[in-house]
Order: sequence, then C-alpha cells, then structure tokens
Amino acid sequence: MRLPRAVVGSAIVVVAALVTVGASSAGSDRDRGGATGLAPVDEPNERFFATGGQFAVECDYSHSARVDPIVWPGRSGRSHRHDFFGASAVDADSTGAALVGSPTTCRQRADTAAYWAPSLLRQGRPVEPAGVTAYYRVAPGVDPADVVAYPLGLAAVAGDAGATGPQPTGVVGFGCGRGGPVSGRVPSCPETKPLELRVTFPDCWDGEHLDSDDHHSHLAYSGRDGCGGEHPVALPRLTLVVHYPMSGDASDVALSSGAPHTAHADFLNGWDEVALGREVESCLERSVVCTIPESARAGR
Amino acid sequence: MRRAVALAVVGLVVAAGCGDDGGSSGGGGGGDGTLEVPAEFDTIQAAVDAASPGDLVLVSPGVYQEAVTVETDEVVIRGLDRAETILDGEFELENGIRVVGADGVAVENLTARNYTFNGFFWTGVDGYRGSYLNAIRNGDYGVYAFESVNGVFEHSYAAGSPDAGFYIGACYPCNAVIDSVVSEWNGLGYSGTNAGGDLYIVNSVFRDNRAGVVPNVGTYEPCFPQREATIVGNQVYRNNNGENDVIDFAQLALGNGILLTGVLDNVVERNRVWEHDITGIATVPLPEDDPQEITADELTPCEGTEIPDGVVDVPEDELPDTLLWPAQGNRITGNVVDGSGLADLALADLGLSPTPDGGNCFADNTAGSTAPVDLQAKAPCDGTPATAGFDDGALDVGALIARDKPAPVPYQEVDLPDPGDQPEMPDAATAPARPQTGSPEFPDVAAISVPPRA
Repeated sequence: MRLPRAVVGSAIVVVAALVTVGASSAGSDRDRGGATGLAPVDEPNERFFATGGQFAVECDYSHSARVDPIVWPGRSGRSHRHDFFGASAVDADSTGAALVGSPTTCRQRADTAAYWAPSLLRQGRPVEPAGVTAYYRVAPGVDPADVVAYPLGLAAVAGDAGATGPQPTGVVGFGCGRGGPVSGRVPSCPETKPLELRVTFPDCWDGEHLDSDDHHSHLAYSGRDGCGGEHPVALPRLTLVVHYPMSGDASDVALSSGAPHTAHADFLNGWDEVALGREVESCLERSVVCTIPESARAGR
Repeated sequence: MRRAVALAVVGLVVAAGCGDDGGSSGGGGGGDGTLEVPAEFDTIQAAVDAASPGDLVLVSPGVYQEAVTVETDEVVIRGLDRAETILDGEFELENGIRVVGADGVAVENLTARNYTFNGFFWTGVDGYRGSYLNAIRNGDYGVYAFESVNGVFEHSYAAGSPDAGFYIGACYPCNAVIDSVVSEWNGLGYSGTNAGGDLYIVNSVFRDNRAGVVPNVGTYEPCFPQREATIVGNQVYRNNNGENDVIDFAQLALGNGILLTGVLDNVVERNRVWEHDITGIATVPLPEDDPQEITADELTPCEGTEIPDGVVDVPEDELPDTLLWPAQGNRITGNVVDGSGLADLALADLGLSPTPDGGNCFADNTAGSTAPVDLQAKAPCDGTPATAGFDDGALDVGALIARDKPAPVPYQEVDLPDPGDQPEMPDAATAPARPQTGSPEFPDVAAISVPPRA
C-alpha cells in the first residue's frame, strides 16, 4: 500500500502538533489556593495514561431507579432517575457497609461501591449507558504518601444537580471517546468516539464525617498545596467516566436532573476495605500504574 | 505507616515461625531466609508480605485461590513444581502475581490460570524476571511488564489470553530479554506497545495465535514511538487461529507471523516463519483511532523519546480522528519464510519518500512470494533502494482490514491445547534465591542461527 502524498499530509501523525498544543495547556493554572476549592486545580479528564499512579475499575451498567441513597435515603421515588453502576443491589436504603461483599457489575469484584449518575435522555427517553470507568489517582498538588483510602460508607457527590449555569469542566463535562477536551455542552461525537460524561470527585476530607447535610461540605477539592484547612485528609481523586453508546447530533440531549449543566454523580464507598487499602497503598502511594482499563487502550 | 505495618507483620511471623522451625530458615526476617507455603504461611500473600529483600518464598504444589501483590524489593517467589503449583483466579480474581513498584522481584516455576486480568504482572519496577512460568487462560495478558526496565522472561509458556501471551510495554530503553518462551492460542503471541531499546525476543516459539509477534505503537501509553527491538531466531508459525479470544487490534493482525506495525528501527533476523494466511513478515503502517493529546512533560519518562522523522512538518490543525504511524527503518534479514497466503515478505509504506519509509529493508531472506514483487531487490539493506515499482503486487491493506474474521470466543470458554512437557526449573527445591538486579545479560545474537522447522 502506497498512499498518495496528499493523504499523508492530512492524515499522518501530528505528534509535533500535539506536543505544542499540550505544552500550552499544561501551563494552565486553575489553582484555587487551598483545600476548599470548588474545582480541581487542573483539568483531570483530558487523558488516560497517568504520569503518576493509578488504579481503575470498569463496571457495567446495573440498573436505573428513582433512588438516591445519599440525598434521599429511605425515600424511593423521591429522587430523579439515576443510572447505577457497581454494587447491583443498591436501593434507597443502601449503606456503604451493607454493600461490602454484595454482587457487583465491576470487573474488579472487590469493588462493591455504588456509583450513580442522572440518566441521559434523548428526546425525553433514557439512553442506557454501557458502563463506567472509575479512575483513582492522586491530584497534582497532593503528596502521594499522604493519601489514605476512603473510609467505608463515605458519601460523595460531585457536581451540582441544581446548577443553573455552566459548572467547572474540571468537575463535570462531556466529551467524545477517550481523552480529548471536555465541555459543559454535549458534543456531537463521531461514531468511533461515543459520548462520555466525566465527573471528578473531591479529594480532601474533614477526617470526621461520612456525609454532611448538604452532602458536599465534608469534602473539598485539593489545591496546589494539597489538602488542608478544614479538609486536611487527602483521599484518592476519583474520576468517573460514564460511557454512552451514542454519537451524532446531541441537541436533543438532556439529563433526568434537567439541562446538561445539571450533570453530577454520586459515590458511596462500599469497597472491600482490605482490597481498597491495598490498591491505595500499592498503586497511589507508590505512584505506579496498576490498571490500564480496556476503555483507555487501543483495540478494545 | 506502611513500614510500621510491615514490621509488625514480620514480628508476628518470626514469633510464629521460630516455634516449629527452629529458626533454621523460616521467618523471613533474616535477609536470606526461605518462607514456605503452606508449611509456614497459609497463603502466598502472607509469605510475601513477611518476606525481606533476598528472601525466597517457596510454594509447595497445590491450588492457591489468591491474587498476590508484591511490594517488597528483591523477593523471589518459586513453586516446587511448575505445573502443580497453581494460582487460580477462578475468573474472579484479577492478577495471579502483581509486582507493584518493587524492584528485582523474580517469579519462578509455577502456574497462574483463570485470572480476569493477567497471570503475571510487573508494573513500575527496575529489575524483574519470570522464569519457568505457565500463564493459562487469563483475561488480558499472560506474562506482562509495564513501565518497567531491566527484565527477563524465559523458559515460560502462555496460552489463551485475548491480548498478548507475552507483553512488554512502555519502556525505552527496556533492557529486557524474552528468551525460550512458548506462546500459543493468544490474541497475539508477543505484543509490545512503545517498548524497545535493548529489547531482545529470541529463541522462542509463537504459534497458533491470531497473530505472532507484533510490536506496535500508540499515544495511549507512554514512551512512544516504539523502536529498536531485536527479534532473532524464533519459530513463528500457523498464527491464523480463529477459535480463541482476541482484542480488536489482534483481530486486525490475524494471519500474520511477524508484523511490524507503525514501529521504528527494529531488527528481524534469522527467524523461521511458516504457514500464515496473510503474510510471514511484514511492515505496515498502524492507524490509531482517537489519538491522545500529549504534553511535553509526558515525553520525558522514557529516555530519548522524540518525534520520529517523517512525522514532523505537519500542519498544526485539529486532531485527526485517526493517526497513521508509518513503519520505518526496520531491517528484515536472513529469515526463512514460506507458506504464506498472500506474501512471505511484505512492505506497506505510507510513501513518505519515493524509497521505502525511513529505510525499511529486506535482505538475504529465503522467501517465495513478496509484496510488492521483487521486494528484496527494491528495498535492499545494502545498496540503493528503488524509487518506483512499489505498487506492483502491493498488499491491499484496506481489504485486509475489512475482511471477515472469525468472532472472538470468550477466553473462559476456549478449549486450549495441553501445554505439553514444559521444563521444570532445575533444582527448584535447593537453588538459592536470585533476584533480578541490574541489566540482564543480553543474548549473543550473532551466535543464533535459523531454528529448524518444528
């Protein structure tokens, strides 16, 4: 096969260009100066190979229900509709402790945590997601040696379901395929790079409360100097990527929580404690890549 | 904190171990001890956690339903019987033995089967060795090293992984040797994304995979481009398997023996390659869907990472959906190739210049058909390459990609062949622990001749 030069010119690797583009974005600084930031210090969702440590889990779609065990515990039907991933027996009464050892849709069976996000709607009808990839990493300002595992039962919400305008794309955003930019709008994705929702959770904890009245204030995003102030305990930085089998025109997309800018996701820690502790210690404290999820590899 | 925990565990173990063992070798605190499983420790993990650098974890025959993580440098884990000392993931556990950032760890003479990810996995280490291992029916890779250097895989066997039986990825220079291994019924016999630089793949057997030996490149892992692997003296045959599990990339490569995909400056010498539906040995460009953005910082983890010639001077417009990596500068010499469906030797260029991309060359090979015709005359390794005639009898790569291929069979369900008589590690019960430190000894490539037909 010899391709004509015109094809080469337009299609060949643009590594040089990538380096130039990347260098400028690497210098961007979204530092909020402390551990009470409303958003991460960088845009964590752009890429899928880590320069530090990571472990990751891949979980199939489990079920959907008008249930939210963090925001509306015990009150089935009160919430907007959510898509659930991970622990498959989640209902309005679920607690982290009860999830340990329960069935999971995750390829990593020790991950019996619950992950959920509002349902994506197209012309008002839910689009069943394919699954999620959950990346556990260390934020740039955090010393990996300081990171501890989430306490069992920790409840975390990332993003604001009540948002009335754009949210920081470092917290929630939509993108196409693996990598690439995230946007507050829902992009029209090519078939080869289907739609994703990417949500990054706060990674500093007050060290005391598994939840808080507003479900946010016991946690915060790390800053350039890591965690501190009222949230001194460094946790892994969880980025949840929800994969939708959807491409093409997205002008008719909404969420069960409202417009696309209401994107958010929830995490209820029900991991096997020993397994989670070992992943945090082995992979994050030691800054080693322990998992390269299928969705981040070529040819999957 | 981790150190404190480890010491506490060691303390307990010493207290427990000395009681019944007289302190002769057990306990793991002495630096040259032997920790026996299950005699002294119920699980391999418990022994590994108690081991100090230089210790030997010696595992008796049995089936161990464990996923072992190693975090201590220079521990050696050894089975007393290669086929009968079995780690079994039962399609629930992820990795048989996973070495995370611990340098110099060697694993010897045992079997890992039925793991959802990998049989044996080293990541982020300096110094690693896998000897006399069987990796069977694991969900990603059989024997796997990632972002690791100074390593050896030898006398080992891998079958039934949908990705590669043996894989070394993301290193430059890798300083690694794959010697005397057998890889069959995998998606790929060998795959090495972005791995090269003193990387030797020698004296090994790659048969009945979907494709045989396939170094490759991608921006989704560090250390690109791939370059400088040396592939010598291997038996590569019948890699046309349609009855096993396979990832998409390996599926594209189905029916090829040694396929250099988008890679640079590799040496392929004196291999015997036969019975492939498509090509015996070929250089082809690699299309990469959905390439990653790369920052300048990320080009530094691997020494000498740079932009290859031939991919500069590209307009800085939008990211393309597909990246085409040309294969460049590869030397294919002295191989004996026959029985290929389309061509024993093939060159598929991007046409970066009128001559072969980056000097890809073919010389002194014993081969029948080539694509294009008269390939060795047109792309010689010494002498002047032709500037025309490369379309005459050229591979139609597009058609090869688009052809129908047998669907993957879930790896859990594949009926694998018997591994046969794989050699035992000599003196497994008595040989001293030998962690893998420093650069391995590289093979004397010049002394390797074309192996016989199996």
